[in-house]
Amino acid sequence: MAPSRGLGCRLLRSIFVNTALHSRDMSIRHRAYISFAEQLANPANRVQSYISRSRDPFVNLSIEDYILRTSPPDSTVLFLYTNRPCVVIGRNQNPWSEVNLGILKAATSPGRTAKNTEPPAIGDVDLVRRRSGGGAVFHDEGNLNWSITCPRTVFTRDKHAEMVVRALREVGVERARVNERHDIVLDQGHKRHAADPQDTHQTAYTIDEEGPRPLKVSGSAYKLTRARALHHATLLLASPNLHIIPQYLHSPAKSSIQAKGVESVSSPVSNIGLDVEMFQTRLQQEFSVMYRHQGKSPIIEVLGEEHLKIPEIKKGYDELKTHDWMWSQTPQFTLLLEGPARTEIEVDVRHGIIQAIETKGDRVPAKMLEELRMALIGQKLRHIGDWTQFLQSRIEPWHSDYGVIADRLETLLPVPQLGGP
Amino acid sequence: MAARFSVARAALKEKKYTEDHEWIEASADGKTFTLGISEYAAKALGDVVYVELPEVDLEVGSGEAIGAVESVKSASDILSPIGGTVTEVNDALQEKPGNLNKDPEGDSWIAKIAISGEPEGKLMSKEEYTAFTEEA
Repeated sequence: MAPSRGLGCRLLRSIFVNTALHSRDMSIRHRAYISFAEQLANPANRVQSYISRSRDPFVNLSIEDYILRTSPPDSTVLFLYTNRPCVVIGRNQNPWSEVNLGILKAATSPGRTAKNTEPPAIGDVDLVRRRSGGGAVFHDEGNLNWSITCPRTVFTRDKHAEMVVRALREVGVERARVNERHDIVLDQGHKRHAADPQDTHQTAYTIDEEGPRPLKVSGSAYKLTRARALHHATLLLASPNLHIIPQYLHSPAKSSIQAKGVESVSSPVSNIGLDVEMFQTRLQQEFSVMYRHQGKSPIIEVLGEEHLKIPEIKKGYDELKTHDWMWSQTPQFTLLLEGPARTEIEVDVRHGIIQAIETKGDRVPAKMLEELRMALIGQKLRHIGDWTQFLQSRIEPWHSDYGVIADRLETLLPVPQLGGP
Repeated sequence: MAARFSVARAALKEKKYTEDHEWIEASADGKTFTLGISEYAAKALGDVVYVELPEVDLEVGSGEAIGAVESVKSASDILSPIGGTVTEVNDALQEKPGNLNKDPEGDSWIAKIAISGEPEGKLMSKEEYTAFTEEA
């Protein structure tokens, strides 16, 4: 009896000790994210600076949105993060016409993991729709995302791009300036000329229309609420994937889709050639200098995935991952499809649902049009999966002409399975 | 309660403005409201490139987003100061979002809402709203 009692005792104690350790560890983390929520919302903290160690674009965008919604009305908040490779589209964009979904799909088909050796796929590439406006961009670990949330009354679209240009120039990037689209470019003029070093909209290499185009290194987008403005932007410091970015952002369906909403403006891009961690620190310093008149230097706090424990951040994260946000948020569009024997079929899509199928003239057989309408109208694109299988399961008797249409739809309107609810 | 309710409706026949720069105007019978954004807001937004309209039959709570506007790479929410059900949306803005800059307080209204309660939050007359925008 005695040994077993002793064993029982030890077991009990060790369970107890583990529990205590576990709960202490949990409470430290709990305190960490509770303290972030409190610190962020505290009106005394007029200047705040955060950095994320997460590489998950959904986590980082949700933390950023939480900062926009809960930071005090007159505060200014810097938030820096880098994401794993992903394509991020603007709030009102069409993923089928802005993104080469076929190569995302190749990377995410069930039972097939993309390999780094397979061009152009670089492993898994997430597709994300952000809440701000603007065009499609590619992110990876060599791209630093910087974001500023500030009072709407003092917000301008250039103000913080100018801050970043000042930080770049201080580390010797003298060709950097803010352009007319509120983006940051590197001037490519060959000859140096006189220029005011304080002018963040001109450099010694700015040239007129003629000559090499400036290269874009940072693209801006904004989200405005009643009292607050969020300006976030990319900054290409050292992307190893520069050569393949165009493959992800050029869609084979572009010329076949007439879309409402926002089209991306394509620009030649470049790396700046700076170390990400070094420049993060430089930017935090520049931010502190810019706002030092508003109070003491901000403490830089590190955030990460554990902040998903904050219910509002988790809610935003879940929303970003829904199919509704990714696909149904797409503005109305019409796909012009070349059918068999050079016929033309128009597919009208609204809220991600096929609304109508039309054709011009009478070259598409009435029976075929009727079958397609029966099979597709009212259908959510995201439920289709494989177009050939989907149509084969609904059209009887099958005909090779339907196969031609299914193949075209597979090329132009693929819906990658991205996970999520 | 009923008496107070009708007083509130009567008071709203005149166009009223919110601090978020939306306006609402009651129909003759006071049962539906037309909602739009103010001239001041339209000007501040810059060139509108897309208007996200709600779907008809959407139930919206007071203070909730009923749509959004995109201009110059910026997305801005449109909030409804009243709860109710969307009965009609201005589809013309889908085709020509730029019209929101031209006539935001007239032809380029956003949506009509059958109200289910009283408006919440601060509503201002034209004069009060003008003073409010000059202060800001």
